[in-house]
Amino acid sequence: MRVLVVEDDALVGDAVKRAIEEAGFAVDLVGTADLARTALRAEPFDLVVLDIGLPRESGLRLLQGLRSRGEKLPVLMLTARDALSDRVTALDLGADDYLTKPFHVPELVARCRALIRRSHAVSTSHVTLGALSIDLSHREVTANGNRLALTEREWAILECFVLNAGRLVSKTRLMSAVADADDALTPNAIEQYVSRLRSKLGDAADIRAVRGMGYRLDERPS
Amino acid sequence: MKGLADTMAIRRRLLLTLFLPAVLVLAGGTVADYFATVRPMDQAYDDALVDTAVAIAAHTKKSTGGDPELALSQDLRTILRPDARSQTFFRVGLADGTFIAGDEDLPTPSSASNPSLAETTYRGERIRVVAFKTFADGERITVTTAETMAQRDEARHRALLTSVVTDAVVIGIIAALIWLSVRWSLDPLRDVEEEIKRRSARDLTPLDLARAPEEIRGLIATLNRLFTTVGEHAGKQRQFLDNAAHQLRTPLAGIQAQLELMTADEPTPERQARLRRVLDAARRLSHTAQQLLMLARADESANVATELVDVDLASIVESTISDHVMQAEAAGIDLGASIANASTRGIDWLIAEALRNLVANALTHTPAGGSVTVSCGVWEGAPFLEVTDTGSGIPDADRDRVFGRFFRGSNARGTGSGLGLAIVKEVAAAHGASLSIDRGPGGIGTTVHMVFAYERPAAAEAPPTPAASAAVGEPSISTAPVPRPLPR
Repeated sequence: MRVLVVEDDALVGDAVKRAIEEAGFAVDLVGTADLARTALRAEPFDLVVLDIGLPRESGLRLLQGLRSRGEKLPVLMLTARDALSDRVTALDLGADDYLTKPFHVPELVARCRALIRRSHAVSTSHVTLGALSIDLSHREVTANGNRLALTEREWAILECFVLNAGRLVSKTRLMSAVADADDALTPNAIEQYVSRLRSKLGDAADIRAVRGMGYRLDERPS
Repeated sequence: MKGLADTMAIRRRLLLTLFLPAVLVLAGGTVADYFATVRPMDQAYDDALVDTAVAIAAHTKKSTGGDPELALSQDLRTILRPDARSQTFFRVGLADGTFIAGDEDLPTPSSASNPSLAETTYRGERIRVVAFKTFADGERITVTTAETMAQRDEARHRALLTSVVTDAVVIGIIAALIWLSVRWSLDPLRDVEEEIKRRSARDLTPLDLARAPEEIRGLIATLNRLFTTVGEHAGKQRQFLDNAAHQLRTPLAGIQAQLELMTADEPTPERQARLRRVLDAARRLSHTAQQLLMLARADESANVATELVDVDLASIVESTISDHVMQAEAAGIDLGASIANASTRGIDWLIAEALRNLVANALTHTPAGGSVTVSCGVWEGAPFLEVTDTGSGIPDADRDRVFGRFFRGSNARGTGSGLGLAIVKEVAAAHGASLSIDRGPGGIGTTVHMVFAYERPAAAEAPPTPAASAAVGEPSISTAPVPRPLPR
C-alpha cells in the first residue's frame, strides 16, 4: 500500500508521513502540485492525502485535474480553512473525504485506512475487517473463519456497515440501502434487522447504536 | 447649533411655508372684499336718503296765505312710506329749527357740509341721518331724513357671509392641493426610505440612482458609496480572518501532530507525561485560537455581505453527533439525537460551529453514565436546535452570565476557554435567533434552546441520496445543505 502526501508545510508533512508510515503504509511526501503530478505519473498509489493550500497551484486544481482524467484514486483533502464553501467545493470536485487542521493523528490514520479499504473493496470485491472477511461479489462473509448465512437484507446492511466501518451510518441510509421498490420499511424494522445481524456476527464485529441517529461498526482485532 | 428650522421635517416645513401664507393672503383678501362690497352699498343707501331729502325739499311749498308757512304736498306722503325692514323718518324745519313737518323730535346733524350725514340713535334704534339745507320759496329750510340701519346691517351681513364662505371653500381647496402636492413631491423620498428599510442588513448592493429624483441623487450616491465602503471593509475583514485562521492552523496542526507522534513513541514514562502536558497545552492553544477566530467571524460586522443560504438543521445535527460520538463513548456518555426535519435561512458553518460548541460544552459538564441529547425540529412554526444534558447544571447565579466572553462557571470543569457559549450567542445574534438556557427535564442538568425566527417554505420533495455517494460513503462531515427525509 502506497500513499502520496502532498503538503507544503514541512512540520505537518513530516507528521502526516510518519503517522501513515507507522500505520504500515509506504509514504511519499511532496510539497507542490507539480511534483505530485510527476509522482502520480511515475508510480501507482493507493491514496493521496492532499493539502488545499499549496503554493502556486491549489490542491483543488490538482484534484480537478486528476478527476477530469478519470483517475479514481481515493483522495483525502486537508485544509486549514473551515469555510464550508471549500469543503463543498472539494467534495464536489471528487474528494472522498475531508479533514480540517489541526487534526488528531489517530483520526487521520483511521480515515486513510477506511478510504484504502473502501477503494480495495470496490476493486477487489474483498474486505477484511478484523475477524471479518467479506467477499462482496460472492456475498460471502466469514467470522473467525466460519461462514455465516445472511438474508438478503442483513447482507445489504452489513455491506453498508463494512464500507463505512468506523463511521456513523444513519438509519435513513440503511433504509435506502435495504428498501426495495414494493416494500416500505420502518425504522423499527431496521432495528430488528440490525439486531439479528449483530447476533449472527457475534464477537467478530462491534455494532454500536447511536441513539436517534443510527449505527457504527467498529473493527475488532482478530 | 441646530435651529428649529434645521430639524423640522421637510414635509412639515413645506406645509407650513405654503399653507400659512396662503391662509394669511386669503384672509386679507376676505377683509378687502368685504369693504369693497360694503362701501358702495353704504354710498347707495346714503344717496337714496339724500335723494329723499331733495325730493321732500322740492315738495315743500308756501301755503297760499301770505305767511311763509310751509307744507308738504299730499303726494309726497306716499313716497315716504317705510318699507318692511327699515323705518324711514323725516323732519322739515326752518333754518332756525322751527318745526314745519314730519317727526318733530328727529335729531338733525349739524355740520358744515351740505348734505351732512351722521349716525345716531333715535327712539332706541341706530339710524342714519341726512340733513339737507336748501331754500323753499325763498325760505331757508333744513330737510332731515333718516332710516334705521336694519336693512344696511342685513346687507352687510349677507356680504360678509358670502365672502367668508367663498374664501373658506377656497382655503380648503388650496390646503388640500398643497397637502397633496407636498405628499406627492415627497413620495420619492419615502420610496427610497422604504427600499432601504426593506433590504436586509447584509444587502449592500447599490440603490438605483436612475429612479431617484434629481434632488436626492447626491444623497443616494453617498449612501451607495457608504455601502461599497462597508462591503469592501467587511470583505477585507473576512479575508483577514480567513488568512489568520489559515496561518495559525497550519503550524498548530504540525506542532500537535508531531507532539502526538512523539508522545506515543516516547519510552520513558516521565518524559511521556511531560510531552502529554505540552500536547494538552498545544491543543488548548489551537482550540482557543479557533474559538477566537470564530467569535470574530460570527460578529455581525464580519458577515455584513455574507450570503444567507438554506440551512438544513437535521444534517448539521447528524454531522455534529458523528464528530463527537467517539469522544462521548470514551467519556462513557450516551450521546444521542432526536431529529425532525427543520431548516432555516442562515450561515451554515456558523450554525454548525454554534452546535459544536454546545455539544462540546454538554459533554464536558456531563459525568460518565449521563446522557447528552441533540434535537432539532420545528415548534410552532419556528425551527429550533436544542441540546440537553444530564450534567452538573448551571448554578442559577451564573445563568445570565454564561454567554459572556471568557466566563467560566463557578462549577466549571476541564480547561475550557470560556468562549464556547459566547460564540453560540454571537451566532444566535447573527441569525436573529433567541437563546435560552434552563434546567433539563426533571430539574437535572441543562437544556439550551436556540430558536430561529424564520422557516423557509418546506421543499416539495427531498432529493434521494445519490447512489454514487452511497457506494463511496459520505464524508463524516456532511456539509452540503441537502434536506433529507428523516424518521420521526
